[in-house]
Amino acid sequence: MIPWVRSRFLLFLERTIHLSILFNRIRTKYLGWVSSSLEQLFGVAIAVQGKKIKSRRTCFRLINCRSPPVEYSLLKLEHSSNALYVMDSLLSSEGDSQRTQYPYVTGTSVIGIKYKDGILMAADMGGSYGSTIRYKSVERMKQVGKHSLLGASGEISDFQEILKYLDDLILNDNMWDDGNSLGPKEVHNYLTRVMYNRRNKFDPLWNSLIIGGVKNGHKYLGSVSMIGVHYEDNHVATGFGNHLARPILREEWREDLTFEEGVKLLEKCMRNLLYRDRSAVNKLQIAKITDEGLTVSQPYSLKTYWNFAAFENPTVGAEGSW
Amino acid sequence: MFRNQYDTDVTTWSPAGRLFQVEYAMEAVKQGSAAIGLRSKTHVVLACVNKANSELSSHQKKIFKVDDHIGVAIAGLTADGRVLSRYMRSECINYGYTYESPLPVGRLVVQLADKAQVCTQRSWKRPYGVGLLVAGLDESGAHLYYNCPSGNYFEYQAFAIGSRSQAAKTYLERKFENFTSSSRDDLIKDALFAIRETLQGEKLTSTVCTVAVVGVGEPFCILDQATVQGLINEFEISGEEGGAAVEETGGESGGAPAVEQEAAPMDI
Repeated sequence: MIPWVRSRFLLFLERTIHLSILFNRIRTKYLGWVSSSLEQLFGVAIAVQGKKIKSRRTCFRLINCRSPPVEYSLLKLEHSSNALYVMDSLLSSEGDSQRTQYPYVTGTSVIGIKYKDGILMAADMGGSYGSTIRYKSVERMKQVGKHSLLGASGEISDFQEILKYLDDLILNDNMWDDGNSLGPKEVHNYLTRVMYNRRNKFDPLWNSLIIGGVKNGHKYLGSVSMIGVHYEDNHVATGFGNHLARPILREEWREDLTFEEGVKLLEKCMRNLLYRDRSAVNKLQIAKITDEGLTVSQPYSLKTYWNFAAFENPTVGAEGSW
Repeated sequence: MFRNQYDTDVTTWSPAGRLFQVEYAMEAVKQGSAAIGLRSKTHVVLACVNKANSELSSHQKKIFKVDDHIGVAIAGLTADGRVLSRYMRSECINYGYTYESPLPVGRLVVQLADKAQVCTQRSWKRPYGVGLLVAGLDESGAHLYYNCPSGNYFEYQAFAIGSRSQAAKTYLERKFENFTSSSRDDLIKDALFAIRETLQGEKLTSTVCTVAVVGVGEPFCILDQATVQGLINEFEISGEEGGAAVEETGGESGGAPAVEQEAAPMDI
């Protein structure tokens, strides 16, 4: 039996059994059907405690219900006991899981570009709780060590955890006190390992990260996703930025961009995101890192113009839309 | 009945404040055939004397590549040396996996020294009977370290370990001030001269020595025999021609080890 099908069926089973307890009258009959079909499908028998139990290889509580607890046992017939453990974990409630099942408070796109003297990065300060823009002053770009800058989109608490890892990393690096230090490349690779390792535990850090930095005059800009996909480029973006900002950057980015031109380009991208990305807010920061060091700007807003014809009646000509 | 009642295990102090087992381990380094190292600003050269155990056997390998940027030369128990080089290799690989960059030499040396130190403080262990010359290159330049069984480590401009290493040390001490600005080939030349000092009357050929280099733009590599022979011929470093130098240092090499034997482990 395909494991996926099996797990799905067992989940279905859990729910039907739960129902059957609520409708106590038909329980016996229903369970009889369930257990016989289970037997047919898996060669596994299921029984209500005290009625049909022959042996107790694995005995566990399926559900928390208000009526006196009912224990079910899966009697192994021809499957390995391993399979039972798998079922056990699949059947247990996901409520007590410590994993990030889905993100709670999230930040949207970050954009980074190389320019003449170093790296520029831009991110807005919104924190969305689902589709509600719940927080308005979330700093999503932080310094890492002497030479690196980290920008994050995605789950904010996971970003905070990543920052904790990096604090430890940099502290340990500094404690050697030997003149060697981790540069942006090392930090990028370290984060790649962390992200990929966590996704392998089925417990991903729900972020897309951008790492920029300058060390010994060498500029570095790269990105890591929540599953560990990583690359380097002259300009990078996360999330919506990949669709709305990168095309602009591909057109307009140059190696010898000055600081002013770089900021202008980033603002153009951020304005586009603001217009089209519903999670973006008009409060952003721009960070600069060069051989001289790092500065993150004070939050500020972009001038917007919402009276474009396309904004006035956005659905004109789109049949079926309201 | 016992010659020395304080040398039965590593953790026992003598009333004079010495750890005999640790000193014996360092003595094992002196018994091994010589290894030398020297460095300039950009390059480090390692060289060693190959001594076969018997007429019928080949010699053991004494220089190991750890990574592209690090190599070691050993003197003492070769088996212990191999264990430690394997440890160093795996440390370099792990660092490379995590950070995609070479492990700084100084850090590897500290880790190695810590590993050796643990063996001087556990009753159920024995110290490693091997001395390592660690040559490497990192972002702060070229480095040469000596790791001792006692858990001590030192950074050197040039150093020699193993039997009759005093002769080589004397040679290196005379010349080391020029090493910083030496070219790669000059370093190799000095390495060969230093090695020759440790050979007692024997003629220097490529069969009795191994030379390795690491430097800027050049990953660690052990020079092949033909290259070494070519250099020996080019520099005319055979045996007899340098006889005067051997004699000159011969007296010192007799005297110095006696002084060293009085030294406590922390001194060297």
